This record gives sequence, structure tokens and C-alpha cells, in this order.
Amino acid sequence: MLEISELRKRFAGGPGAPEGKLALDGIGFTVRPGEMFGFVGANGAGKTTTMRIVMGVLQADSGSVSWQGRPLTYEDRRRFGYMPEERGLYQKMRVAEQIEYFGRLHGLSGSRAAQATSALIERLGLGERRGDAVESLSLGNQQRVQLAVALVHDPEVLILDEPFSGLDPLAVDTLATALQERCRGGVPVIFSSHQLDLVERLCDSVGIVSSGRMVASGTVAGLRAAEGGMLRVVVREPAPGWADGLPGELTAEDGRQVLLVDATGDGQEILRRAMKAGHVEHFGVEQPTLTEIFKEAVA
Amino acid sequence: MNALALVARREISTRIRTKAFIVSLLVTILLVAAAAFAPKFLDRPDKYTVGTVNAQRLPLEAAAPDIEFAWKAFPDEGTARKALLDGDLDAVLVGDARVLTDGEIEQELGVLLQSTNREVKLGASGVRIEPLRMESVGADTRYQAARTGIAVVLVLVLFMLLIGQATMVAMGVVEEKGSRIVEILLTSIRPWQLLGGKIVGLGALGLVNLVAILAVGVVASVGSGLATDFPPGMPGIVAGVVVWFVLGYAFFATLAAALASLVSRQEEVGNVMSPLTMLIMITYFVAFYATAEPTGTLATVMSMIPPFSSMVMPVRMAAAQVPVWEVGLAFALMAAAVVAVLSLGAKVYERAVLRTGARVRLGDVLRAK
Repeated sequence: MLEISELRKRFAGGPGAPEGKLALDGIGFTVRPGEMFGFVGANGAGKTTTMRIVMGVLQADSGSVSWQGRPLTYEDRRRFGYMPEERGLYQKMRVAEQIEYFGRLHGLSGSRAAQATSALIERLGLGERRGDAVESLSLGNQQRVQLAVALVHDPEVLILDEPFSGLDPLAVDTLATALQERCRGGVPVIFSSHQLDLVERLCDSVGIVSSGRMVASGTVAGLRAAEGGMLRVVVREPAPGWADGLPGELTAEDGRQVLLVDATGDGQEILRRAMKAGHVEHFGVEQPTLTEIFKEAVA
Repeated sequence: MNALALVARREISTRIRTKAFIVSLLVTILLVAAAAFAPKFLDRPDKYTVGTVNAQRLPLEAAAPDIEFAWKAFPDEGTARKALLDGDLDAVLVGDARVLTDGEIEQELGVLLQSTNREVKLGASGVRIEPLRMESVGADTRYQAARTGIAVVLVLVLFMLLIGQATMVAMGVVEEKGSRIVEILLTSIRPWQLLGGKIVGLGALGLVNLVAILAVGVVASVGSGLATDFPPGMPGIVAGVVVWFVLGYAFFATLAAALASLVSRQEEVGNVMSPLTMLIMITYFVAFYATAEPTGTLATVMSMIPPFSSMVMPVRMAAAQVPVWEVGLAFALMAAAVVAVLSLGAKVYERAVLRTGARVRLGDVLRAK
């Protein structure tokens, strides 16, 4: 279990802003083995800073990161897989060579690194490009190599900063499947993304960060439940005034009336009145999308 | 294999394949070989062609064994004069009393002709003159020209290799910092392993270059006959050069890495490196001066002070005899300076290399806890 708690970080200010910028204001969350954690938030909310602190690239002013109940050490991090926000690869190095090199730096033997590299190259669909220099690859393929670099040593934890940005849907699927495989193998995966539909589709749990604080976190279903759905009722040609006295918002559109009401109220009473008033075409609770939850949370 | 060795191996294997490396190595080797053969062609031993008309050859060869003489006999003075005017001859001996030349005679040839003529005539009349015995009261200067030549070549080679490899270290550091590869690298290995591997790897390449140059230089010199002029103790001089290169490289490359870690873009490398480039240039100028005045005060003093000693001492060792204690002291001081620079440089690198963005100020890095 990876526990991040109470992280605070203030960046030193320049001459214009003497007090600097508060990047993290006590952010904390937990990721369990086999859990895929989607990290969402506006630009500058603190996602990258948090990930960099977890990976030891940056020091927090206060707070802690622990892994398996102990403070995270350098040795632990060597067994993590990391994909930084700004992609870092040796442009002139060949694909297979590069993946293998990072495998060896993480402590794999020569033969194991070669094996893992071949498997990943196949898995990520880079077979034809294995001997090419990274600089000759498309952005999407470079991203695949970057992911391979993060995966080559069979990491115990995956920390990925915007792994899907700039990818076409096919590439997204390849990468997502690769991540889900690792996740099913018991690896906690943290990734940040602005593609909320993707986060909603892939993640078991989500953390929404705003101004360096975690403003909402939990399973996607849990967040929805907390947010509460909206009951949507559509009645064709109802008797006028049928909804008088009911809560919610009534709108009319070509012969139909639509009632949107907080789903926490008594739905059965509303249904009875609607059926009496006319022909009910639709009656159901609509779950908020992650985008709606997100907008609500950071508002 | 440990991480430092892995990093070093990557540096070597990726550079050694590049065209730039191979081409520059070949060009240097060709230049060195050319330099070894050049004296044979440019500065070839004097050669005179002397014609005779009704005259005996004079024993010029015996008087000047280093000079080549060719003799041509002519039936009459007319054909000899013509050959002289055509430039086929340097001088014509006519009878045993006259020498014809085209304009003024080469001074060396004139003196030789006069003295051998005198000797032969005196010998014929029974006078024997003991040749003067030469005795030097100063240092042995037989090899001075060769020593100076070797020293000049060494200065150039050392300077090029030191500045070239140090620049490569700097570029490599910025490549990793600018592209943030360093963020991934430093989550799997320690900063000193990354820095050390880079310095060792590129240093090994520099050493390959240096050894290739030295080997080609020695082989080509033997081939061209230049080696016969080499002073005794050449193996020592060559070994000394390698040792001093390693020390100088460790010093300058570490500083280059530390300075380069302050910036994030390749365009800024030249700027941030300029104090170091200046230092290498000064070292080079002093060393170059030392080739001419290897026993002067400036050369003697500078050959003790790091980092100047890294270039000045090997030059002095090549250009003149240097007392052992001076070499030992210079070595100890330079080694101490390398250790100091390594610990300081590693500290700067470690603190600055993850601080991407604007140029990091050296003062900030040193002050930070």
C-alpha cells in the first residue's frame, strides 16, 4: 500500500513574488495493491509536484510517503516505474537498446533485461521499430517506448504523469491494456490525466486535486453516490400543472415536459403523479459523469 | 555490472558508433602520421650535386656524413656550365683550382669544399692535422630539437583532447537534464554513479584517442626515421603523458559537468562553460610557452600548480629533464586538486541537476544545505 500524507511544498519565489508559490497544501491519499488510481486536477493543481515528490525527484517541505507501512526509501523507488511529465529518452539511442539499458540500471541482469525488453516491444506493438533511433519515431511510438522504460523492470508501483496525453485512441487502448495487466498483477498504478472519460473507464478510484489539496477522492461509484444523481422524468403531453408543488426544475420541449430533480427525494410519488398526468417516456436516475463531479469539486 | 559501469558503457558504445567519433579519430591519426613524416619531406637532409671537369672528387662524404652528395663528371667546361645554369648542379669543380657556381654558393657547401680541398692538399704534402675535439660543458642538447618538437605536438594533442572531452561531458549532462531523462535515471541510480559513469566513459574514449595518437606517432616516427632523433626515455615520456591526461581530464571534466548541470538547454552550455574554457586556454598558452622555455621560471612554477601542471608538466618532461621531486610534487598537488574538484563537483551536480528551468546560480547551489 502506498500512502501519501500531508504533503506540503512551497516553491521559492523570485523577485516578483517573494513568498513563492504554495504548490502542495497537505495533499494525501492511499493507493492499494492492484488499484488503479486516477489523479485529476486542473493544470498547476499539484499533480506533477506530488508525483515528483513520491519519486524522490523533489523534496517535500513536510509530510510523508510510505510504502508497505514504512517510509519510502531510495531502494524502494528503484523498484518503482516512473514516467515523468516531460518525456525523457535518449534521442539517438535505439529503441530496444534504450529499454534494455533502463532495465539494467534498475538492476536486471543482461539476459533478463533483454527478455523483458523483447516482451514489452511485442506487447506495445513496437516490433518493427526496435532497431530504430528514438528520434525517428512518431510521438505516439516514443510514448510507447517511454512506457516500456517505466515497465521494463517489472515495477512494484507505477507512477505515470499524463501517460495518455497526445495519443490516438488506438495507442491509448494499447497503453491502457498494458497498464491494466500490471494492475491485475497486484501493482498499484497512479496516473494523472486530463482525459476524464478515460479515467472514469480505467480507474478503480479517483483523486481530484485542486490548489494542492485533495478535494475529493474515492471510488468512482462512491464519488457519484456522494454527489447524488438527478432524477429525470419525461412526460408526453401531460396535464398542465401536474408538477405543481414538486421540487426540481421543469422544462418543456416539443410536447414533452422534462422534470429534473434531486434523486434523494421520493421518486415513487413523482412517478405516480407523472403517470396520472400523461404518458411517461423516461424515468430514471442519471449518474453524474466524472467531468461533472470534477467541475463541482474544483468549483 | 554496477550502475557506474553501465553508464560508462553506454557513453562509450553510443559515441564510438557515431560518424563524428570515427572521422575525428581518423583525421587525428592521419595528422599525427603526417607530422611524423613531414620532416623527412620538408626538412630533408641537405643534398648537393657537384659536377667535375678534369678533377678528382673531394672526400666531402667523409667530412659531412649527414649530407648527401651526388657526383657528375663532365667532359668539358661548356656542358658543365650549361648543366649549372639549368639548375641541375650546385657547383662544378674544375681542375683542382676552380669552383663554378650559379650565383653565390650555398655557404655550407662552400665551406666544405674549401676545407676538404685544404685537407687533401695538406695530406698530399705529408701534413696531418688532428681534428678538433668537441666538448660540451652545458646540458646535453643533442635531442633539443626533437624534444621541442615532441612537446609542441603533445601540447596540441592534450589541449584538443581535454577541451573536446570536457565539452562532451558538458553536452551529455545537459542532454540528460534538458530532456528530463535524469529524472528517470536518478530514480534508479545515484547521482555520483551517473556523473562518475559519464566521466569515466568519456574519459575512456579520450584515452583511446590519446593512445591511438601516441601509438601512431611512435610507429610513424620509427617508420619515417624520425625516431632516431628521439631522446632516451621516450617510454617514460609517453607514460607520463597518459597519466597527466587522466589527471587533467578528471579535473576539467568534473568542473564541466558541474557547470553544465546549472543549465537546462544546449544553447546555454557555451556560456556557462566559458570560465572553464578560459582556464583550459590559459593552461594551453602556458604549456605552449613552456615548449620554448621548458626550464624558465614561468614553466617551472606553473608545472607545479594545478590544474596548469596537467599540461605544463608533461610538456616540460618532454622538452627537458625534470628533477624527479618536481614531478612527484606536481603529481601530488594535482591529485589532491582532482579529489577536491570531484567532491565539490559531485555536490554541485547532485544539487543542480534536478532543478530544471532557468539557470541555477552556482552560489545558490553551494549555499543550499
